[in-house]
Amino acid sequence: MDSEEKKNMEQPKILLLDDDFSLIKRFIDGDESVFSELVKRHKDKVRNIIYLTLSNNEMVDDIAQEVFITVYHNLKNFRFESQFTTWLYRITINKCKDYLRKKNIRKIFLPLQEEEPVFENINEDSDIKQIVRNAVAALPDKLRIPIVLKDLEGFSYQEIAESMQCEIGTVKSRIFRGREALKKILRPLEKELME
Amino acid sequence: MKNFYNDKELLSAYIDGELSQEEKKYIEDKIKSSLELQKVLADLKKLKELTSNSFEKISDSPFFETRVIASINQSPSILFKLKKWSPVLAFLFLTIGLMAILRYSPNLINNLIENQKSNLAGFYKENLQPLLYTADLTNEDLYNFAFYQQLPLDSSRQQLLKLGYDPQGKEFFEIKKVDNPADIKPANNLNKFVSALKLNASEARQIDSIIGSYTEQLSSLVLVNDKNSVAINPSLWNARKALLADIITFAQKHAPVDFRKILPVQEGKFDNNLVSKWVDKTKNSIDSQYIFCTPDSIFKENFVFDINEFKKNINKMEEELKKLNIERNLEKDLKFHFDTNFDKEENIDKQYRQFKVLIDSDFVKVIVNKLDIPEIDLNELNIPDFDSIATIIDKATKNIKIYVPSLPSMPNNSKIFDDENKSGKTKKRNKAEIKIDSLMNLKNVIADSVYKEQLEKLSESFNKQFNFNPDDSLIIKQNNELKKEMDRLRKELQRFREEMKNYENNGKGQKQDNSIEIRIEGVKVIQT
Repeated sequence: MDSEEKKNMEQPKILLLDDDFSLIKRFIDGDESVFSELVKRHKDKVRNIIYLTLSNNEMVDDIAQEVFITVYHNLKNFRFESQFTTWLYRITINKCKDYLRKKNIRKIFLPLQEEEPVFENINEDSDIKQIVRNAVAALPDKLRIPIVLKDLEGFSYQEIAESMQCEIGTVKSRIFRGREALKKILRPLEKELME
Repeated sequence: MKNFYNDKELLSAYIDGELSQEEKKYIEDKIKSSLELQKVLADLKKLKELTSNSFEKISDSPFFETRVIASINQSPSILFKLKKWSPVLAFLFLTIGLMAILRYSPNLINNLIENQKSNLAGFYKENLQPLLYTADLTNEDLYNFAFYQQLPLDSSRQQLLKLGYDPQGKEFFEIKKVDNPADIKPANNLNKFVSALKLNASEARQIDSIIGSYTEQLSSLVLVNDKNSVAINPSLWNARKALLADIITFAQKHAPVDFRKILPVQEGKFDNNLVSKWVDKTKNSIDSQYIFCTPDSIFKENFVFDINEFKKNINKMEEELKKLNIERNLEKDLKFHFDTNFDKEENIDKQYRQFKVLIDSDFVKVIVNKLDIPEIDLNELNIPDFDSIATIIDKATKNIKIYVPSLPSMPNNSKIFDDENKSGKTKKRNKAEIKIDSLMNLKNVIADSVYKEQLEKLSESFNKQFNFNPDDSLIIKQNNELKKEMDRLRKELQRFREEMKNYENNGKGQKQDNSIEIRIEGVKVIQT
């Protein structure tokens, strides 16, 4: 066995690769500097999921930070049984759900506020995109999240089911119900929208 | 309809490319044959397109990684995390601790309950006293108990203890409140019984003595206390039977004919010997268990009540009470313990000698030689001078006959101590002689000699003050009487003044100060 072969055996190929698993492996082995690389790789997707899920731009960075801090503290227990992104998005969705739950609880103790109307002074100059965003934001959390993950992030039903920890059938049903609800909300603008 | 609904759901998955080959073929066939499904499909596609195009990617966040790493480095320590979870941890440890304790001493809770029970039992067992003493039961009550099985529980006779037997023949007792006290104690049954049997006085006394002989036994069988608990010994049922048997036996023996009239059903005859044996047995076999009936619960507990000890305590208390009463009576007598060494203090500065104290076993008088009362100018307020009124009242009261108890008889070796006289008249210190008849007069003399001029002035001011106009007053009659009385007083005052002048003239050369020779035997005078 020559020295080159020996070197290859001591250092498995996977560690030389630049994918998520290799970075995680290095992190587990003590090289914590690779974590910033993981953050850099996935921050956009994570931030976008948070933004779409919450329909809110203000809390995105805070929640994204929380997501990565949780990942950092639990990365050493990662079992390489599924993709890193599946695990990461599950944490992200859970953090979003936590935030929404806390927000709903806080709402109980706040004075009643009028909900923002989906349509306000609709005219020719109205921003159709804004109207649709409002309509999506008006959907219940459990219908909104699978729709945005599918239509905006391009997740498969399988990925959505894993991220939301539910069955594929449930995802399919929720997406359909979400679209029905959305259609109902946008019905007054049917002519304008469907042109 | 359900199928159509399923078809629409399939269409939704179809546009997402999430159908299996089979499903895809099925739905495509359906779409071809259904215009409605085609419309739905078109709408869904349009909606998906709208949604996809309405959102833009979120703008980039500069230095996000740096901030995340910084946050990680500043993330709270383990201690902080523990603090956050401290309520949960405390609850967890408490649960584990309790589980461990219960694992190794499973009877802990039972023991605690038992302890509490015994504490409660102890509380209700305190100060138990025989009902006979607390409710002040009479022979009549005991007779009623024997025949009617009921005892009044309290002296107000609002509560009743009733013994009885249920249809199965089992004993029961009940404590009940009775609104009408007459219901508790049917009146005069014992006397009716005695007269029905036509018993003579001696036989009636015997009945009384029979009932009386059960007093002690019954005393220790029903106990009550101030905590509203009643302790009943099960032997009470036997005691009642014994008492009843005793009375019936006696009645049968002494008035067989009349007794039969009262109790005609009664067949046969009580055997005296048998009854007395049975009675003795019931007296000697008293159960040590009492049934405690308390406001909280009813329980059976061992309780030893020593009637002899109780009697001893009662006797002791009675004696103490008697003693206390005697002491109280003694204390009613006045006892002033002045320091008799006052008279020995020869060097006390005269300026402090302001009081003259006359004392005897039941008599004390303190005379103030000089009293500094601040003067108040009342002219501005336009109200009468208080002193003027007080003096008139004082003078008026002199003529009112008030019963004054005579002074106690004075022993011959009595002494008079007058410190002020001590320096010049040492001889008279111990054997002073009386020139004035009573202490009342003595007081008047002192007052008059010291404040003679002031009195004169005050009486004049009084005359001015009480210059009444009869027409102004509604109590004309009273005013006239008062006027007459005042005239009489004025005359008397005048006479008194003259007498005083004589007295002063006679006393000149003998006394220059305010001290007076006192000749009261047995009265001790201390002037300080």
